[in-house]
Amino acid sequence: MAMQAFDTPAASAGAQGAAVPAVTRGRAIVITSGKGGVGKTTTTANVGAALAAAGKRVVLVDADVGLRNLDIVLGLESRVKFHLLDVLEEKATLDEALVRDKRSENLYLLAAAQTREKEDVVTAQMKALIEELRDRFEFVLIDCPAGIEMGFRNAVAGAQHAVIVCTPEVSAVRDADRVVGLLPGDWRPELIVNRVRPQLVKRGKMLSVEDVNGILRLPLLGVIADEPGVIVATNRGVPLALDPISETGAAYRAIAAKLSGKDVPAPTVRVPGGGLFSKLGSIFGGRA
Amino acid sequence: MSGRRIVITSGKGGVGKTTTTANLGAALAKRGRKVVLVDTDIGLRNLDLVLGVEKRIVFDLVEVVEGRCQLRQALIRDKRFDSLSMLPAAQTREKEAVSEEAMTRVIDELAETADFVIIDCPAGIEHGFRAAIAGAREAIVVTTPEVSAIRDADRVVGKLVQAGIPLRLIVNRIRPEMVKNGDMMSVEDVCDVLQAELLGVVPDDEEVIETTNRGEPIVLDETKRLASIYDKIARRVEGEIVPFTNLDAPGIFGRLFTMFKAG
Repeated sequence: MAMQAFDTPAASAGAQGAAVPAVTRGRAIVITSGKGGVGKTTTTANVGAALAAAGKRVVLVDADVGLRNLDIVLGLESRVKFHLLDVLEEKATLDEALVRDKRSENLYLLAAAQTREKEDVVTAQMKALIEELRDRFEFVLIDCPAGIEMGFRNAVAGAQHAVIVCTPEVSAVRDADRVVGLLPGDWRPELIVNRVRPQLVKRGKMLSVEDVNGILRLPLLGVIADEPGVIVATNRGVPLALDPISETGAAYRAIAAKLSGKDVPAPTVRVPGGGLFSKLGSIFGGRA
Repeated sequence: MSGRRIVITSGKGGVGKTTTTANLGAALAKRGRKVVLVDTDIGLRNLDLVLGVEKRIVFDLVEVVEGRCQLRQALIRDKRFDSLSMLPAAQTREKEAVSEEAMTRVIDELAETADFVIIDCPAGIEHGFRAAIAGAREAIVVTTPEVSAIRDADRVVGKLVQAGIPLRLIVNRIRPEMVKNGDMMSVEDVCDVLQAELLGVVPDDEEVIETTNRGEPIVLDETKRLASIYDKIARRVEGEIVPFTNLDAPGIFGRLFTMFKAG
């Protein structure tokens, strides 16, 4: 029982709340892409872990109601007792629903409901919840579901900023371009190009970062290489951002530093040469 | 005549639904079947890119449903296979523009003249998913051997069972070396968790990225390893019993090896 009490998010969050002085309002950032499977959840977990490791107070919000996965990537799936909808429906307090990370005292997860529907979330309530989280955390990272339906609209509702995750594939670029068009017009979303394979780019078999951003034209936050280590880390529930040796881990830490306002260069993946696909131009008409 | 109506779904995005739809469709067409592929990912369509027909789109699914054109006007015939055509999704509309009933009507009409209607489902389990499965009589669930993809697939399997739609599984993007090192789940593990019958196993192949960017389904090139794998899957879909061949992972010193199912 003693162990259980120690593990409850309410107890740890309460202790944190007492120890840490109130912060100025945090920044709510939605991690989105349009296309699924490009790495939104992995990015959210890694950037969140890197921000927390740098001393920021961070909460990660899984907005993928019905298909949650952020808890798995963080290795917290067995500690989730309450979820976002429980909080919105006042079945649990925010303190009860926040799950503290196993490694970092600064990192919390608010899980999505797994057995409910995205349509159950009321946009205004979601917005109010994000506002409340901004009072308590320096960074609120919202892991957006794939697609552009209700779940997307709710995930974007409370945010002030967006990070677009895109892989070097024509389908992902097209979906990302569509999502940028659906975000509020005064936002300036930043781009992470994920899963770049330098060897394929070199041989002209994969779009380069320049190809991708030639279409999207967004400020580049960083480039992440495709490496098996990401899948391994995900399956083990340990974000690669905490690995001091991994280059990809270092890239996530650089992205976190940039989001914190530090003037550091966007991490890149070096490609000798680099090919341009003439096809992109035809898909995006005159814009390319 | 009433053709088979198969939805390709997954829950999680980016696991290969659209690639599977295009390649299974092309493999069936290559076998002489009349096939129509339907992109139901309204607002985020991509099947047209994978098939390389994006510049030939005139009408789309939503315009068909709203009665602004005939169904046959919206169908785009593939230039490589006469018996393969596709119905594109609308790009600038919402998923809600097509109700479950309207989708069922379109799929039923297509099935009157086709051997196979293959429905490319959007990611997620929202309205777009419900509409995509509404017209289907059977399902192929695509998953990758990752915990998150399997959990999402499990949610979708539950919903398909609830809807009374029989399903089979394609395990996509297997990397034998990673399975061998214990860094990736095996096909057996995946089938165990999902309690579903296996239809096919597709290894991770970087050629897919390139052929997708070029708009040419990989089954078109018979020299490609995946071409024969999609052909086997097509034969299994048609009811043939095709054994799973073994895919050897290169072992340490080339002596030790583990066998992996493929095909």
